Amino acid sequence: MSGFDNFNTDFYQSSYSVDDQNQAGYGYTNTETPYNKQYGQYDYSQPMGYPSPGMMQPQQPYTGQIFQPTQTYTPSSSQSMYSSSFDDEPPLLEELGINFDHIWQKTLTVLHPMKVADGSIMNETDLAGPMVFCLAFGATLLLSGKIQFGYVYGISAIGCLGMYCLLNLMSMTGVSFGCVSSVLGYCLLPMILLSSFGVLFSLQGMMGIILTAAIIGWCSFSASKIFISALAMDGQQLLVAYPCALLYGVFALISVF
Amino acid sequence: MANAAMMYGSSLANQGKDMVNKEISRFMSVNKLKYFFAVDTRYVLKKLMILMFPYTHQDWEVRYHRDTPLPPRQDVNAPDLYIPTMAFITYILLAGMALGIQKRFSPEVLGLCASTALVWVVIEVLVMLLSLYLLTVHSDLSTFDLIAYSGYKYVGMIFTVLCGLLFGSDGYFVALAWSSCALMFFIVRSLKMKILPSLSSDSMGTGSSAKPQFRLYITVATAVFQPIIIYWLTSHLIRSSESSCLTTGAKAE
Repeated sequence: MSGFDNFNTDFYQSSYSVDDQNQAGYGYTNTETPYNKQYGQYDYSQPMGYPSPGMMQPQQPYTGQIFQPTQTYTPSSSQSMYSSSFDDEPPLLEELGINFDHIWQKTLTVLHPMKVADGSIMNETDLAGPMVFCLAFGATLLLSGKIQFGYVYGISAIGCLGMYCLLNLMSMTGVSFGCVSSVLGYCLLPMILLSSFGVLFSLQGMMGIILTAAIIGWCSFSASKIFISALAMDGQQLLVAYPCALLYGVFALISVF
Repeated sequence: MANAAMMYGSSLANQGKDMVNKEISRFMSVNKLKYFFAVDTRYVLKKLMILMFPYTHQDWEVRYHRDTPLPPRQDVNAPDLYIPTMAFITYILLAGMALGIQKRFSPEVLGLCASTALVWVVIEVLVMLLSLYLLTVHSDLSTFDLIAYSGYKYVGMIFTVLCGLLFGSDGYFVALAWSSCALMFFIVRSLKMKILPSLSSDSMGTGSSAKPQFRLYITVATAVFQPIIIYWLTSHLIRSSESSCLTTGAKAE
C-alpha cells in the first residue's frame, strides 16, 4: 500500500503537463501495478514518454500508440481491398447514375416542343434532373416571397400518382412510377421561366395571363409528346396533354397568386 | 455498397407494388377498367359534342362484337371513364378557382367540395344499383357503366359554372337550363337502350321481371335527378360571387 501512496503522490505531482496518451498509459499502468510488482525494477514515479512500451515489454512488443488505429491491427484483406480498388472505382457521377449528356439531351427535348422526340430516351429513369428543377422552381418562388416548398412537393407527388394511374390504364404497355415522375419533372423547366419572370413583373395583368397560358401549353405539350413517343400511344396526345395541363395549371396558380 | 442499397430499395418498392396490386384486384379487375380508358381524341370530342347537343345524334345503339361490347375507340355510344374522371377533377379545380376569386379559398374548402361531389356520385350509383336489383331488371349495366353515366353530368356542371363566372347570374341560369335539358335527353336515350331492351320478349315471359313501366320510371327518375344535383353542387359557387360583386360595387360607389 505504501507503494500505492508513493505512486499516487508522484502521479499528482507530475500529471498536468502530461497529454492524453500518457495519462491513459498511467491509467493502464495503475491496473497493472499489482501484476508488475514482481518485476519491481520499473520506476513509476517519473514521467516517462511512453510507459506502455516499457510496461508491455514482458508481455508482448507493443509498437503502436493508444487511441490510434495501427496498420497491423486491421485485417490485411480489407487493407488490400481499399488500396487496390481505389484506382478501379468508377467515377463518382457514374456511380450515382447521373449522366450529364442524357440530362442535357432530355432538357433540349423539352425546350423544343416542335421537334419529334425519341422514344428510347426515357428508358433509364433519372430523378436527378427533376430534383434540380423542383428545387430551382421553389427557389424562384422564394425570390418572389412565396415560401411554398410544401405545396410544390405535395402537388407534384399527387400529380405524379394520378398520371401514373391514368397512363397505366390508358396505354397498352405499362409505365413505371420513376419514368412518369422523371418526365413530369423535366417538363417543369418552362414553369421555372414563368416564376422567374414573376419575380420581376407582376403576372396578374392581361400580359401575365397570356404568358401563363402559353407556358402551361408548352409544358403539357412537351410532356405529352414524350409520353406518346415512349409508350407508343397513337391518337391520344391531346388526351394525355389535358391532365398534364391541369397539373401544370396548379403550379402556375401557385406562381401567379 | 450503393448497389446493395439500391437493390434493397427497389425490392422493397416491388413488394409494396405487388401488395397494392393484390388488394386492388380483389375489388375490381384492372382489365375491365382498362376497357373504359381505351379512348382516343376523336371519340372524346364527339362524345363531348353529344353531351352538349344530343338532339341530332341518330343512332344510340351500343355495338357489339361477338357478345363483348366494342371499346370506346370504335363505338361512340360506349360509355367511358376518361371523360367523367377528367370532368370531376376539372370541376374541383374550377370550384377552387371560383372560391379563390371570391377570396373564400382555403385548401379545406377544396377538400370539402371534392368529398361532397364524390359522395353524391356514390349515392347516385348506389341508388341506381339498388333500384335495378329490387325491381329485378335484368340489364347488362355494370357498376362502372353506372359510374360513367353518372359522371357525365360533370361536363354540364363545368359548362354551367364557366358561364356563371363569365356572364353572371343570367348566364348561369341559361347554361343550367341548357345543360339540364341536354343531359336529360342524353340519359334517357342511352339508358333506354340498356334498361328497356326488348319489351316484346318480356311481355311474353312469365312476368318474373319487372313491368315495363317500372323501367321507364327508373330511367326518367335518373334523368330528372341530374339537374337537381347540378343546381345543388354549383349554386353556392355562383350565388356568393353575385353578392360579393354587389357589395364591392356598392362600396366603390
